[in-house]
Amino acid sequence: MEVYPHLLAQGLAIGVLTGILYVLVALGLTLIYGILHIVNFAHGEIYMLGAMGAFYCLVVFKLPFAATLAVILVASLLLGLVVERLVFRSLRGQWLQLVVASVGISLIIQSLGWIAFGIQEKNVPSFFTGVVSVLGVRLPKERLLAAAVGVVLVALLYVLVYRTKTGLAMRAIEEDEETARMLGVDADRVAALACAVGFVLAALAGAFVAPIYSLNPGMGLEAILMSFLIIIVGGLGSITGTVLAGLLVGVLQSVGAVLLGAEIAYGLVFVVMIVVLIVRPAGLLGRA
Amino acid sequence: MKRGLLALVVAALVILPPFGQPYVLHVAIVVLVNVVYAQALYVIMRMGYLSFGHAGYIALGGYASALLATKLAVSPWVGFLAGGALAAVFAWALGAVTLKLRGIYFSLSVFAFAEVVNAVFRAFEFFGGPAGIAAVPRPALFGARLNTHLQFYYVVLVVALVSLVFLYRLQWTRFGFTLLALRTRETEALAESLGINAARHKTFAFVVSCFFCGLMGAVHVHYLRFVSPFVFTFFLSTDLMVYVMVGGLGSYWGPILGTVLLTGLGEQLFAAGYYKSLVYAVVLLIVILALPGGLISLSRLIGRGGLRGRAAPVDAIAAGER
Repeated sequence: MEVYPHLLAQGLAIGVLTGILYVLVALGLTLIYGILHIVNFAHGEIYMLGAMGAFYCLVVFKLPFAATLAVILVASLLLGLVVERLVFRSLRGQWLQLVVASVGISLIIQSLGWIAFGIQEKNVPSFFTGVVSVLGVRLPKERLLAAAVGVVLVALLYVLVYRTKTGLAMRAIEEDEETARMLGVDADRVAALACAVGFVLAALAGAFVAPIYSLNPGMGLEAILMSFLIIIVGGLGSITGTVLAGLLVGVLQSVGAVLLGAEIAYGLVFVVMIVVLIVRPAGLLGRA
Repeated sequence: MKRGLLALVVAALVILPPFGQPYVLHVAIVVLVNVVYAQALYVIMRMGYLSFGHAGYIALGGYASALLATKLAVSPWVGFLAGGALAAVFAWALGAVTLKLRGIYFSLSVFAFAEVVNAVFRAFEFFGGPAGIAAVPRPALFGARLNTHLQFYYVVLVVALVSLVFLYRLQWTRFGFTLLALRTRETEALAESLGINAARHKTFAFVVSCFFCGLMGAVHVHYLRFVSPFVFTFFLSTDLMVYVMVGGLGSYWGPILGTVLLTGLGEQLFAAGYYKSLVYAVVLLIVILALPGGLISLSRLIGRGGLRGRAAPVDAIAAGER
C-alpha cells in the first residue's frame, strides 16, 4: 500500500503534462469557434498532420529540429488560410453546412492520410531522452519539453488575444460581429487569421506529441474527442475555461487510469461532461 | 404519377429478389439498412440538429439484441424491439439534458457518447471485448431459421418499409410540422411563444430517431451474425450525415436518394475503404458548396420531375446558428 500515493502523484503529474497538450489542441478549436462559430471537426486531422510532418521531416528527410518546426508552422498556417478562404468563408452563417463541411475536410485529410502514410504505425525518436525525478515522481524529459512548449504557446495566444489590436478585433467580433464590422473591423481577415492560428496550434501540438505516441492517420479522432469534451466542460468560446478544463480532463483521465483503468477513465470524463451540462450548461466559464 | 412510381419500386423490391444473385441481395440489404439509418437521422437534421454519434445508438441496439440472443437465448424478434427500446431510452436520457442547449452542445455530446459506448464495448469481456460477439443467430419463422440471403432480405424489407412509412407519416403530422418550426433559434422562439414545448418535442424526435436506429442496428447485427466495436464506428455516423446532405435536406426523398446512390454505387465501385470515404467526402463538399439543396433539388430544377409531388416547406433547411 506504500506505493499507492506515489502512483497517484505520478498520475497527477502526467495528467497535468498531458492536459497542457490537450489545451493546445482545444484552444485552436475555441478560437475558431469564437470567431467563426464553427466547431471544426478537421482539427484532429491537423494535429495528425503535425505529428506525421514531424515524422517525415525528422526521420525520413532528416531535417534539423528547428527546420522541422518551421516547415510544420508554415504549412499549417497556409492550410488554415486556404481552408478558411475556400470553404468556411462561403458558408458563413449556415452552421449546419459549416460543421458538415468541416467533417468533409476531416474525412478527406484522414482518408488521404491512410492512402499516403499507410497503416504501419510510425515512431519518432525522442528529442530528449532521460527522466527527471522530482520528489520521487519520475517525468520523462520529452513530456516536460512538450508541456513547456505548450505553456509558452498558450501564453503567446493570451498575448495575441488580450494585448494586441488584432486580438481586440477578435474579441469584438466574438462579442458582436455586426457592430464590429460597422466600426471598420475587417472580419474576413480576422477570421482567416483565427483559423490559421488555430491550425498552427493543433499542428504544433501534434509535432510535440510525435515522440510520445505511435502515430497513425486515425490518431486525430481521439484528440478531437478529448478536445470536444474539454471545450464543452470549459465553456464554448472561453479561452481560460478551455485551459482549466483541459488540465482538469488531463488529470482526471490520468489519475482515473491509475485508479480504475484507462477505459473507465474515458467514461469518467464523459460523466463529468454530462454533470457540467446539467449543473452549468454553458460550461465552467462560458456565457449562456 | 409519384404514387405509381412508388408502387412500382415497392413491387420491384418484393418481386425481383428471388431472381437476384446472393451478392445483389447483399447490396440490397445494405442499402435498405442504410436508408433506414439515414432517414432516422433525417428526423433530427430536419429540425436543424446534427448528430455525430448515431452509430452509438445503432451499436446499442445491435449489442442488446446480440447479447440477448447469445447469452439468454431470447428470440431475435424480441431482440429487435429490445434493441430499439434500449437505444430510445439512452437517447431520451442524453436528449433531455442536451437538447435544451444550443445545437452544437447536442452534436458534440452525442459524438462523445458514441465514442464512450464504443470504448465500453471494447473494454469489458462481458460485451465481447475487442473481438466482439460471434455466432449471433438468425431469427426463425415457423421453426425454420432464416439463413439464406433471400429469406433475410424479406425480414429487412419488412422492417425497412414499416419504419419508412412510419417516418414519412410522422413528417406530415402536427408533430412533424412542429419539428420543422424548431430548425432555427428565431422560429423556435416563435414556436415557444405559441405554447409549444420545444425541448420536449426535440427530445421525442431524438428518441424516435434512435429507436429506429437501434431497431435496424439489431436487424443488421443478426444479418452479419456478429458484432464488434469496429462495426459501428464514427465513420458510419459521418457516412449517414453525408447521405442526408448529398441527397438533400429539403425533402423526405433526399436522404433516400443520397443513400441509394452513394451506398448502392459506392459498395460496387470502391472496394477499398479509404478511397470510398475520400470520394464520399469530396462529393459532400462539392454538393454543400455548389448545390445547397442537395441532389434532390435537381429534380425540381428539371421541372415536373417524378419526385416533385408535395415538396417540403423548405428547400435548404437550417440557415443561421442553431
